[in-house]
Amino acid sequence: MRLNDDDKAMLDGRQGEAKRLAMDGLVQLGNAFGAEDMVSIGYAHIHAGMAMYLHDVELMEELAAKGASMAVPASVNIANADTVNWQQTGAPEKLARLQQRAATAQNQMGASCSFTCTPYWAGHWPTWNTHMTSIESTVTVFCNSVLGAKSNRDGFFAVYAGITGRYPRFGYHLDSNRVGTHLVRVEATPATISDFSCLGFHVGRLVGDGVPVFEGFTRRPSLDELDALGAALATSGGVALFIIPGVTPPYASAEQAFAGKAPRQTLNASPRDVKAVYDEFCSAKDGKFDLVHLGCPHASLEEMKTYAALLAGKQVAKGVELWITTSRAVRNEAQLAGIVRTLETAGAKIISDTCPISCHFARSASPDPKLGVVPPPLRAIVVESAKQAKYVRDMIRCDTLLTGTEEAVETAITGRFVARRRA
Amino acid sequence: MREIKARSIVRGLASGPALVSQEPISFLGDLDITSGTIIGRLPSVEGMSVKGTVLIFPLTMGSAGAWRFLFQLYKHGTHPVALITREPPDPSVVQGAILANIPVVCEPEEDVLALTSGTRLEVDGAAGTIRLLQ
Repeated sequence: MRLNDDDKAMLDGRQGEAKRLAMDGLVQLGNAFGAEDMVSIGYAHIHAGMAMYLHDVELMEELAAKGASMAVPASVNIANADTVNWQQTGAPEKLARLQQRAATAQNQMGASCSFTCTPYWAGHWPTWNTHMTSIESTVTVFCNSVLGAKSNRDGFFAVYAGITGRYPRFGYHLDSNRVGTHLVRVEATPATISDFSCLGFHVGRLVGDGVPVFEGFTRRPSLDELDALGAALATSGGVALFIIPGVTPPYASAEQAFAGKAPRQTLNASPRDVKAVYDEFCSAKDGKFDLVHLGCPHASLEEMKTYAALLAGKQVAKGVELWITTSRAVRNEAQLAGIVRTLETAGAKIISDTCPISCHFARSASPDPKLGVVPPPLRAIVVESAKQAKYVRDMIRCDTLLTGTEEAVETAITGRFVARRRA
Repeated sequence: MREIKARSIVRGLASGPALVSQEPISFLGDLDITSGTIIGRLPSVEGMSVKGTVLIFPLTMGSAGAWRFLFQLYKHGTHPVALITREPPDPSVVQGAILANIPVVCEPEEDVLALTSGTRLEVDGAAGTIRLLQ
């Protein structure tokens, strides 16, 4: 791989141990994937340091101790506990304290310690042609497909890219890979954010790590709908980029999206396909549940407004928990707008930094036994997102009831599960 | 001593008994972190432990979170000492292997899926070689 003088200086250790370690990893990664050189990135969405995993927070502390700092604007991915209001989630204090140490390390490294899977709603909005890196696949797909930035689905090395400001040129950093593979004819008319989530989940399963090109939407999807579509595509499949001609920069037409070539495959997405995803994730046949969850991925201010409109003057039923998860930045905005008061008066809990699948509910994690993490027994969780549903099933290992946002709020108010109503 | 050439992915030198899976592996979900036991539905290796083995499998299943689970195996001391894949592994798996100092080679010139589990192997990640030690 061709390295410039600055890359070489970092690799030789002339710019300190943290940059040497980071560049060494990035060069190995680049060589493994046949990258010709490195690109300069403009943004990194990095690993939090997760308190539910052994020695994971320490991983970030060690980097900070080595003098690491972010060479580019950086946001921080979701964490394993609400670092301010952990009591209302039932998390052990030791877990929250450990998670707070990650925040200290992030601040030391100059990252914006956003602890969210939707940093774009918190103001991290990379623009067209910005090379970037992200540890969170939801961020990768949103930034590629809605904003026209260039990102791979990364792991820990998003941190290394943030430290060096560099990333090997392979995958979606090459325009030759930003070409449609599957044409998806949308015959369904998704009407809600949850519908878009289910549509994405269905299509993601069929296209794997391909680049689906959508046609047939009867209107331009909202930003929240695009967010839900992408998050689900990235969950059931390995999608990093989807293209909606006229929406995804710079693709004006399907011809342009396929670079003049024929699609590898053409698929239809029918109303029945969307319904099948709802049905698959309504596994609690007795309709009994312990928790209603809204805000996967972390809610935007628009979604917070929707929840407030649905809950204003109402009361969450006795014995029902309603969690709304959003970034601390959006929470603060909602607080100023009076939305937090409306939601809390109705009995909802607003939780930041984490979410059901990322908190101490997860049975697939491996926390230090000293933290005293005991996942509570849960029968089922009512969700509005296919992404959350899949991971509730796989990580919390309890049943799910997937429905629309309005129906989920109605469920919380009445205490009885309300299935998705047909649009 | 027979040597099989392969493509270098992650440097490092390690040896151990082969564990050959005929099925693709997802590090997120198929392995129990604390024991290294294969809990996924992989008929050829289900119930076996990857701990200390040279793990051979056709390809990695995509998950952006795979690196974390490979790193967690390492932190719990239940990790395979080297990986050999037929097809190039996911970037996330490569990142986890670099972080955990686990050598990786791929695209071997011989059909390594035909090797018998238990065969002692040495993997040189930098050179891109697999040595049969017996």
